[in-house]
Amino acid sequence: MTDQPYTTPPTGSWAIVAPVKGKIVGAIALSVISAIAAIAALLAIPPIATELLSTSPDLDQIWVWVAMSAIAVVISFTTKVFAFSTSHLAAFNLEVILRTTLTEHLAKVPLGYITTIGSGAIKKIVQDDVKSLHAFVADSTPLIGRAYTTPVVSLIAMFVADWRLGFVTLAVLPVGMIFIQLALHDYAEKREEYDRANEQINQVVVEFVQGMQVVRTFDDGSSSFARFQRSLDRFTQITREWNEATQTSGRLGTLLFEPLPTLTIVSIVGAWLMLQGTLEFPRLLVFLLLSPRLCGAFKPIFTLSYFINQSNAGAKRIGVVLAEPILPQPGRPKYPQDASVQIKDVSFSYGVREASPQESRPALHRVSIDIPAESVTALVGPSGAGKTTLARLIPRFWDVSNGAIEIGGVDVRDMTSETLMSWVSFVFQDTFLLYDTIRNNIKLGRPNATDAEVEAAAQVAQAHEFILELPDGYDTIAGERGTRLSGGQRQRITIARAILQDNPIIVLDEATAFADPENEALIQQAIASLTTGKTVIVIAHRLPTIRSADQIVVLDQGNVVESGKHDELVSANGLYANLWKRHEEAQNWQLRTRSVEIRNFAPL
Amino acid sequence: MLKTYRRVFSVAGSYEPQLKIALLLSVIASIVQGIIFALFFPLLSALMTSPIQPQTVWILLGMMGVLVLVEGMLRWKELDFAWDTSNDVAHETRLRLGEQLRRIPLEELNRRRSGDLNVVLSGNVSEIVLWIGSLCTLIIQTIVVPITIILVTLFIDWRLAIALLVSFPFAIPIYRYFRTLMGKALRDVTAVDAEVASRVVEYTQGLPVLRATQQVGQQAQRLQEALSVQRSVQSTAQQLSNLPAIALSTLVEVGIFLVLALGTFLIVQGTLTVPTLFALLVIALRFSEPLAQLTGLLSVFDLMESGLERIEAVMNIAPLPVSPPAAHLTHSDITFEQVSFRYADQIEWTLQDVSFQLPERTLTALVGTSGSGKTTIARLISRYADVQRGTIKLGGVDVRSLTPEELLQHISVVFQDVYLFDDTIRNNIRFGRSTASDADVEAASRAANCHEFISRLPHGYETTVGEIGGALSGGERQRISIARAILKDASIVLLDEPTSALDTESEVAVQRALDQLVSNKTVVVIAHRLSTVVGADRILVLDQGQIVEQGTHAELMEKGDRYSSLWQAQQQSRQWRIAA
Repeated sequence: MTDQPYTTPPTGSWAIVAPVKGKIVGAIALSVISAIAAIAALLAIPPIATELLSTSPDLDQIWVWVAMSAIAVVISFTTKVFAFSTSHLAAFNLEVILRTTLTEHLAKVPLGYITTIGSGAIKKIVQDDVKSLHAFVADSTPLIGRAYTTPVVSLIAMFVADWRLGFVTLAVLPVGMIFIQLALHDYAEKREEYDRANEQINQVVVEFVQGMQVVRTFDDGSSSFARFQRSLDRFTQITREWNEATQTSGRLGTLLFEPLPTLTIVSIVGAWLMLQGTLEFPRLLVFLLLSPRLCGAFKPIFTLSYFINQSNAGAKRIGVVLAEPILPQPGRPKYPQDASVQIKDVSFSYGVREASPQESRPALHRVSIDIPAESVTALVGPSGAGKTTLARLIPRFWDVSNGAIEIGGVDVRDMTSETLMSWVSFVFQDTFLLYDTIRNNIKLGRPNATDAEVEAAAQVAQAHEFILELPDGYDTIAGERGTRLSGGQRQRITIARAILQDNPIIVLDEATAFADPENEALIQQAIASLTTGKTVIVIAHRLPTIRSADQIVVLDQGNVVESGKHDELVSANGLYANLWKRHEEAQNWQLRTRSVEIRNFAPL
Repeated sequence: MLKTYRRVFSVAGSYEPQLKIALLLSVIASIVQGIIFALFFPLLSALMTSPIQPQTVWILLGMMGVLVLVEGMLRWKELDFAWDTSNDVAHETRLRLGEQLRRIPLEELNRRRSGDLNVVLSGNVSEIVLWIGSLCTLIIQTIVVPITIILVTLFIDWRLAIALLVSFPFAIPIYRYFRTLMGKALRDVTAVDAEVASRVVEYTQGLPVLRATQQVGQQAQRLQEALSVQRSVQSTAQQLSNLPAIALSTLVEVGIFLVLALGTFLIVQGTLTVPTLFALLVIALRFSEPLAQLTGLLSVFDLMESGLERIEAVMNIAPLPVSPPAAHLTHSDITFEQVSFRYADQIEWTLQDVSFQLPERTLTALVGTSGSGKTTIARLISRYADVQRGTIKLGGVDVRSLTPEELLQHISVVFQDVYLFDDTIRNNIRFGRSTASDADVEAASRAANCHEFISRLPHGYETTVGEIGGALSGGERQRISIARAILKDASIVLLDEPTSALDTESEVAVQRALDQLVSNKTVVVIAHRLSTVVGADRILVLDQGQIVEQGTHAELMEKGDRYSSLWQAQQQSRQWRIAA
C-alpha cells in the first residue's frame, strides 16, 4: 500500500490522515459491510418464525434460514475484525509517517525555533499528539462506518416490514438527535473552559510537587497547600458548573439510549396493531430485533466526538509545527574560504512569538565585529545584553533581521545547513548525551571515525582515563544506572565529540557553575585542546578566563559599547572596567557569621 | 477481585456511602431490567395465542411500562454519583494526596518528584476517580442483567437456560485468560512509547550536532530504530488485544446460535413453544452486545485499577516517626555521632561513620568532590531521611524526637536552584514567615539587596513571578530566596553554594545578601569555591562519605594534604585563559 506524506501542512483530523486515506476508506467500507451483514443475520430470524408458525413447518427451509443467518454472522464478524485491523494498520503507519515527517521538518526549521518551544513540548507533539491521532484513526473510523450504516439499513428493513411501526420507531430518532445536539452543543465551549481549568490545575499540581521540596524547608507546607487548595476549589467549581449545564441532557441521553424504552414503545404499538389484526408476529419480530439497535447505533457518536475533538487538538498542534517555515536554503550553495567570521551591521529582534515581554525591544542593534581566523573573541556583558543571541546567530539559530553574518567571506545564508554545521561547533554548558555508549556519543561528531580516533579525541579531552574506569569502558551506556557521570565528566565527553568533529570555528558558552576544583582543571585542559588553532567565540560569564583573549567585545542592551584587549578596556574605565571591579570584589568575598553589624529581622 | 473492591471504596473516601448507594441502585435497576426482559416470555406467548387475550396483553405491557419508568428513576438517581459525587471524590482525593505530600519524608518526595507524583495528583486522579462510578455501574449492569435473565429462563425452560449459560459465564474466565496474554504486550507498548519519547528528546537536543553530520529525519538512526521497534511492538499488541474481543464475540454468537438451533429442534420435537424461543432470542441479543463490549470495559477497569494502585502507593508512604516526648529546640549547635547513611535505592553507603560537633553561631564549610557526601550532610540536618546508624542532634536533641514543624522552624536553606511560586513577589518572600507584615517583607528584601529591583518591576511587590517569567535573572531570583530566609530568621542556615551558578554581576549582590542572612547564625555551607570559606571556623573535607580532614583554612594548608591540593588546583585554574 502506498502511503503518501503531505503536500501542504495539515490542519485537522481529516487532513492529517491523508497519507493513509486508502486504508481508512477500506476500513470504513469493511465496517459498512459488517454492519449490513449483522442486520442481515437478524433478518433471517423472522422467516424462521413464519415457518414455525405455519401449519406445516418446512424443516429444510428453516435450516436454510438458520444457515444463512450463520453465514451472515460470520461475514459480519470477519469484516469487522478486518476493518479494525486495517484501521489499526493505517494508524500505525500514520504514526510512523507523522513522526518521521515531523522530525525531518524539525531538522530543517531554524534551531532557534526548537530552542524556543523546547524539547519537552516537541516530545509532547511527536509522541503524545501523534498518539492521540491513533485513537481517532484506529478506533473511530470503523465506528463511523457502523454508526451511519446501521440506522439507515435497519430503518429500511423496518419500513419494508411495516411502515406504521416504522414511523413509530423513526420518531425515536429526532428525540435522540435533540439530546445529542444538546450534549454536543455545550460540549465545544464548555469543554474549552474545562480544559483551561484542567490545565491550570495540572500546573498547580506540578508547582505543588516541584516546590514542595523547597517549601518543606520553610514550613510544613501549609501556605503552599492553601494555594493548592484554592486552585482545587476553583477547578471543582468549574467542573460543577459544566455539569450543571450538560447533565440533564446527558442523563436523559444516557437513559433513553438504552434499548428498553424503544423496545417498550415498539411492543405497545406492535401489540395494539396485532390486536387490530393488521400485524403478523414475524413482522413485529423484525422490530423487536432491530429497533434497539437503532439507538445503540448512536452511542458511538458520543464517543466519536470525544475522539475527534481530542485528535483535532493534536492535529492542530502537529500542523503548527509542520507549517513552521524551514530555514531557506541557498539555490547555489557557496563554501567558506577560511575560518574568519564577520558580523556586519547586524540587527536582530525576536519574532512576536519568541519574545518575552522583556525581549520586545531589538535584541541586537547594528552590531559589527570582525573576527579573524584562529583568534579568540570574547563576548562580555550583563545578563540580557545579547551575548547569547549574537553567538546563536552565527549557526543560524535565527536569521538576522538586518545586516549579515559571513564566514570566510560567505554569507551564512548562502551555505547549506550541512556546510554551516560542519564549520561551526558548539560547546554549551548544558551537555547533550545520547542514551547510548560513550563511544557512540563521541562518534556523533564524526560518524565514520575509527575507534582509535575516538579514543584519541577522548584522551585529548581528558576523558579517556575516567572512561576506562567505567564498567564497560567505551561501551558503557551513558547515564545508565550505576554509571552516573558527573557534570564535569559529561562536559568532557561533549568536548571530545567537538574535538573529533574538528570544525574550524568553535562557539563556546562558558559554564557558569563551578565544578569541583579537580574537575575544573580537567575541563580547562580539555577546552584548551579543543580551541587550539581554531577561531573561538566565547560567551564569557566569568571574566578571568578571557583575560588574554585577542578581542573582548562588551555588549550592553544589544549594542556593542566597547571592544579591545583586557588591559585597554580596564584602563578605559567603562562598563568592562566596572564588571572587572565587581569580579575582583566577588573573588575576595568570604562568608563570615560575625563580620557585619547585627541586624535583627525578628518580628517588629 | 476483593482487593479491587476494597480499593475502589478506599478511594471513594468519605463518599463511600454514596458510592455504595450508587452500586446498590445499579444492582437493583439491573435486576428490574432483567425482569422487564423476562416479561417478553409471557408477552409473546399472549400475542401468539389465538385469539389474543387483550386483557393479558395490556396488563403485561402496563407492567413493562411501569417497570421501565422505575428503572429509569433508579438509574437517574444512580447517575448522581457519576455526575456530581465523583467530582467531590476527585476533589477529596487530591486534597488527601496533597496532605500526604506534606508528610512524606523528603527523600521519598525527591525520588518520586519527577513523574510519579505529578501523574498521581493530576492525570490519574481526575481520569480515574471520575470514571469509578460509571464504570462500576456499567460492569454491574453487564453482569447482573444476564444473570437475572438466565435465572428467569431457568424456570421457563432449563434446557435453554443451559444453552445460554454456555455463552455467558464462560466469557469471563476466557477473557481473563486472554488478558494475561495481553498484559505483557501492553507493558511492551508502554515501554517502547517511553523509549520513543526519550529518543525524540534526544534528537531535539542533539539537532545542532546531528545536522552537521546529516543524521536527521530518515537518517536519524537511533530515532528511526526506535520508531520501527515501536511499530512492530504495537502491531503485535494489536493482534493480541484483538484475541479476547474475538473470543468473547465468538462465544456470544455461538451461544445465540446454540439457542436458535436447539430451540428450533425442540419446537419440532414439540417440547418447546414458538413464543418462548423468540422471546429468548430477542432478550439474548440484547445482552450479547454489552457482553461483547465487556472486554473494552474491563480493560478500562484495569487501567483504573493500576491508577488506584499508584494512589494507594503514595498514600501508604509513612511519614518519618517522631519519637516521644516531642522536644523543643533551644540551641542550634549541630552534632553528628557516628552517622552512617545510604539512600533508599542504593547499595553503597553515602556517609560512613561521620562524627563532628558544630558549636552555635559558627560557620562550617563542607568541601569535597561531587559525590563525597557534602550535600547529604546538609540534607540530613533537616531530616531529609533517617540515618541507618548513629545520631544527629540539634541543640542536644535527637532530630528524630522533633516534630517536622519544630525542626523546620529553626532551619533555613538556600539552594543553588531557586524555586519561586507563580504568585506575587511579596507572597513568595512571605513564605518565609506567613505572619509577616508588609513592612517585615520589605525590610527583609532590603537586607537581601532586592528591594531596589523589586520596586522597579511593573507592579512592584505585587508583580507575579509568572508575568515576568524569565525576566528575573538568576541572581535576582536568588536574592528573593535569601529575603525569604532572612524573614524566617531561623537559627540554623544551610547554604548549598548559592553563588556558584551566577555571573559576576549578580554575584556581588547575592554575596551581600548572604552576609545579612548568616550573621549570628549557625551556618553550614557547601563550598565549591574554596576562597569563599577561607574565613570559616571549621572546614570539613569529605571524600567518599568520610571526613578525611578538618580544621581551619590555615591549619589545613599547613598540613599540606588533601585540602591544600584542592586549594592549589583551584588557584591554578583561576589563572587559566582561553586561547586559540
